[in-house]
Amino acid sequence: MPTIEVEREDLEMLLGLHLPIDMEELNEVFSFIKGEVKYAGEKEIHIDIKDSNRADIWGVEGIARALRGILGIERGLKQYGLSGELGINVLVDQRLRNIRPYIACAVVKGVRLSDAAIRHIMRFQDKMDQTYGRGRRRTSIGLYDFDLITPPLRYTVSKPDETRFIPLGFDEELTLREILKVHPKGIMYGHIVEPYDVWPILIESKDKVLSFPPIINSNDLGRLTVETRNVLVEVTGTVYSTVLYTLTNMILALADRGGEIYPVEIHYPYADLGCVRTPNLENEKMELNIQYVRKIIGIQLSLQEVIDLLERSRYGVSKILNEDTLIVEIPCYRPDIMHPIDIVEDIAIAYDLNKMQPRWPRISTVGGLNRESSLRNLVREIMVGLGYQEVLTFTLSNPEALFEKMNIPSEKVVELANPKVSSMTCLRNWLLPNLMEFLSHNTHVEYPQRIFEVGYCVVHDEEQINKARDLEKLACVTIHSSACFSEAKSVLDALFTNLELEYSLEETSHGSFIDGRAGKIIVEGEKAGLIGEIHPQVLQNWNLENPAAAFEIELDKIWQRLKSG
Amino acid sequence: MDLRENERKVLLALKKANGRASIDEITDSSGLAHVAVMRAALSLEAKKMVKIHERSITRISLNEEGKKYAEDKLPERRLVEILMSMGGEAPIKSLLEAASIDGEMSAIALGWLARKGWARIDSKEQKVRLLREPETGADEKILTMLNMAGTLILEDLSGELREAFKMLKGRKIVEAHEETIRDLELNDEGWRLLEKGVEVIEEVTQLTPELIITGKWREKKILKYDIKAPAPRTWPGKKHPYLRFLDEMGEKLIALGFKEMRGPIVEVSFFNCDGLYMPQDHPAREIHDMYLIKEPEYGDLTPYRRFLDQVKETHECGWKSGSKGWGYKFSLLMAARLMLRSHTTAVSVRTLISDDLEIPGKYFAIARCYRPEFVDRTHLSEFNQVEGIVVGEDLTLQDLLGILERFAIDMAGADKVKFRPDYFPFTEPSVELSAYKKGYGWMEFGGSGIFRPEVTLPLGINVPVLAWGLGVDRLFMMRAGISDIRYLFTQDLDWLRRKGMV
Repeated sequence: MPTIEVEREDLEMLLGLHLPIDMEELNEVFSFIKGEVKYAGEKEIHIDIKDSNRADIWGVEGIARALRGILGIERGLKQYGLSGELGINVLVDQRLRNIRPYIACAVVKGVRLSDAAIRHIMRFQDKMDQTYGRGRRRTSIGLYDFDLITPPLRYTVSKPDETRFIPLGFDEELTLREILKVHPKGIMYGHIVEPYDVWPILIESKDKVLSFPPIINSNDLGRLTVETRNVLVEVTGTVYSTVLYTLTNMILALADRGGEIYPVEIHYPYADLGCVRTPNLENEKMELNIQYVRKIIGIQLSLQEVIDLLERSRYGVSKILNEDTLIVEIPCYRPDIMHPIDIVEDIAIAYDLNKMQPRWPRISTVGGLNRESSLRNLVREIMVGLGYQEVLTFTLSNPEALFEKMNIPSEKVVELANPKVSSMTCLRNWLLPNLMEFLSHNTHVEYPQRIFEVGYCVVHDEEQINKARDLEKLACVTIHSSACFSEAKSVLDALFTNLELEYSLEETSHGSFIDGRAGKIIVEGEKAGLIGEIHPQVLQNWNLENPAAAFEIELDKIWQRLKSG
Repeated sequence: MDLRENERKVLLALKKANGRASIDEITDSSGLAHVAVMRAALSLEAKKMVKIHERSITRISLNEEGKKYAEDKLPERRLVEILMSMGGEAPIKSLLEAASIDGEMSAIALGWLARKGWARIDSKEQKVRLLREPETGADEKILTMLNMAGTLILEDLSGELREAFKMLKGRKIVEAHEETIRDLELNDEGWRLLEKGVEVIEEVTQLTPELIITGKWREKKILKYDIKAPAPRTWPGKKHPYLRFLDEMGEKLIALGFKEMRGPIVEVSFFNCDGLYMPQDHPAREIHDMYLIKEPEYGDLTPYRRFLDQVKETHECGWKSGSKGWGYKFSLLMAARLMLRSHTTAVSVRTLISDDLEIPGKYFAIARCYRPEFVDRTHLSEFNQVEGIVVGEDLTLQDLLGILERFAIDMAGADKVKFRPDYFPFTEPSVELSAYKKGYGWMEFGGSGIFRPEVTLPLGINVPVLAWGLGVDRLFMMRAGISDIRYLFTQDLDWLRRKGMV
């Protein structure tokens, strides 16, 4: 979710009206473009744009364009056309095919950029590079003073040490390799080109370097000032449609500030791609069925109402096929419109969600818990009745807690490929370590302490499609100066009596428990858990000073055998 | 007048002592413990039956050395007795030997012998001569008295004895302590009551099975308690407050006709992402936004091959969904990547492709979800989400708003609601729900939407599916009065014990 920072005065100038000062009122306005005002000062307004798919409103110009429709200042499709031909060509080098194959360019003439406008355009460019361009990996944008450039341009490659130019913000020439080492942008984005032997460069006919995409522009050509009147916009990248769209988005921002758009011919040497003219400002068309709109929204909107709402959302209606069907023109800056449902949503938003009539769905269904949940609640009720305090702990754990501190050898657990902290590197396969950790945080609290948890553990399972299985377990522990095996056993007895099940114990040896005071819990011949008096080494590992006794049961083994439920 | 057993006993003891006696005397005569007499005395004074007179005294006693002297007699006495048996005159050396006195004691014993005027020490001839019959001194009297009584009150002694005590104190064989002693004196009210007759009734503190069975309880008085006195604390077994809150949310959803659904913690990306039309290079699918499994890396989607193919085609070009699709090359391998469930919507996807799905149907899940966050006041790396779907023909955006409004009122106790357009990759339209509650203000309470056709159609669902998720954590925190989200998984037993259940 990108945060867009706009200057209030600049936005108001583009909108042609004053915005409310009150944060709540301002929020109401921005909610129509899925924006949430995070800060509303006299000078700046910061807005979170929730729609991560609408790069057209990540800049102040696009926000103004959309709001002018919603506020009724300007309706319908905004047409952006080409103002003529300049005959500019860009020649693409075959060697870019597997490096950064695509480029799109346009020239915007006659702009007059204030300082605020330049700041905004830079922010917009950065936002596009970061988010839509995936940190310049997918696309990156360059802006240049067109009057300093002599076409045609060549989008080609250079060996890292063969090309030198002055990068933006520096005052001496550097090679491409040096730029990667010393320029902040080189350090930040160098990883994108580093794997290759040759790196992309954009140069003009007099061999002046425009830029080293996607790293940095030339300090001479690639810098906009309030004096700049004619701007060359260039986008390079790895995804063709994204490169084209990014160009469109950038030049429309400039066009909204009074510029005129001129195209550029791109000459690709690729087998599947030849000569292309950019930008592509064509508005796509989509058929929209009014019945569909009504079915989704649930309101009997008339044809005229639908058209009105479409126009407020800056769509065009190019044709009315019949009383049920429209041909909608989708603005060229809206590639997020993939399906008629996207248009329906815009209609609903323009209508205003808060003017609709919420209704409880007229379908009758029977609610209920699944069996495991009902039984889980039963077990929790019994444990609470036995005086045990329920606790809730994390399912993420680490081998030290699960095995080392529990005095047992390591077992195979489900590990994370990208753990964030060393205390959470795998999923727990048993609960007792979490309870011991809990107790270790409460040594200053009044004893006796009796706690339990019912929770999921996870183990590997090749049979499952997700190669793992969730095991729901119950564990409880009692700790105080005279806690012992028989106390835990009497609780286990009470639990099974109330579940109307029989169990038996089989002596076992387990590092977490004192030898001779540990047993397997056997239910109908199958091992369902462990019970025992905690080994003093384990107590010491968790800095506990009182004896403790505990048991842990796999609840699935219990559920299968319960008589009812 | 209601009198306790001990108070009656003290009154009777006072009567026997003619109306005035010290606490010690009453302790002796009544057979009660000293503290019991003291307590009874205070309550009798409060009831205006007796007056307590206090006076300061000096209590004297022997120290260890004094006790030895009391047993063995003073050294000068021992010397004089031997001197007499030796005929009234003896060499110093043999006298001391005969009395087994040596060392520095020799000088002290001889000194006192001379000072008391019993004998003369002739240092020239090294002899001792008896001067007169040695009388029993006041110091010896007091030594004997103390040895017999243990302690005495200095002020009760005659002037002569008091002087002698001073002398013994100088010899460091006695001790003195200041203390207060209390005398009880019956006043008129006390006498009047005694004249009417006071008898002793036995009291019991604890009713016993024996008293009940034998019927003896009738002869006893069951002691009154100070019912306002603090009692020892006990800690009941309780459910975890956050889980109890989630149970309550579940119950409300069941009452609204929702059935519980289930899904695993380790999930295949297909259910968590791809099936939800999240493009494979979507920023939300990057490594910092979801936990991936180390080994094995991939699950087995063979049983879902048909759905997988349809989802793949939808991502690439829209399949039959009427969509343009995302227009990229879909990786089947990436869809099989194993991860930890990052949102409960994965459970909804599983429900939608399940053979048990009922249409129309309402389903909910309360499930643990995972995101790689550093844990702090506002972030957890695992948390619970409450989420669900409503599936049925003819469901519309208005139904979605109706469900949200109902949740806000039933579950959050909201006074009014507000809807805002929202964005999720898998729903369109998408709506955010804000709920207003008096005293709490506005809070975001949920996100929701209608599943995109690109989600439902490839999964074989051709009716609308309304999906919603509720931000119940913040609601719980507000209700429980906590501002630190880590308290949902608190390790603080004391807090859990003290936390009320309302």
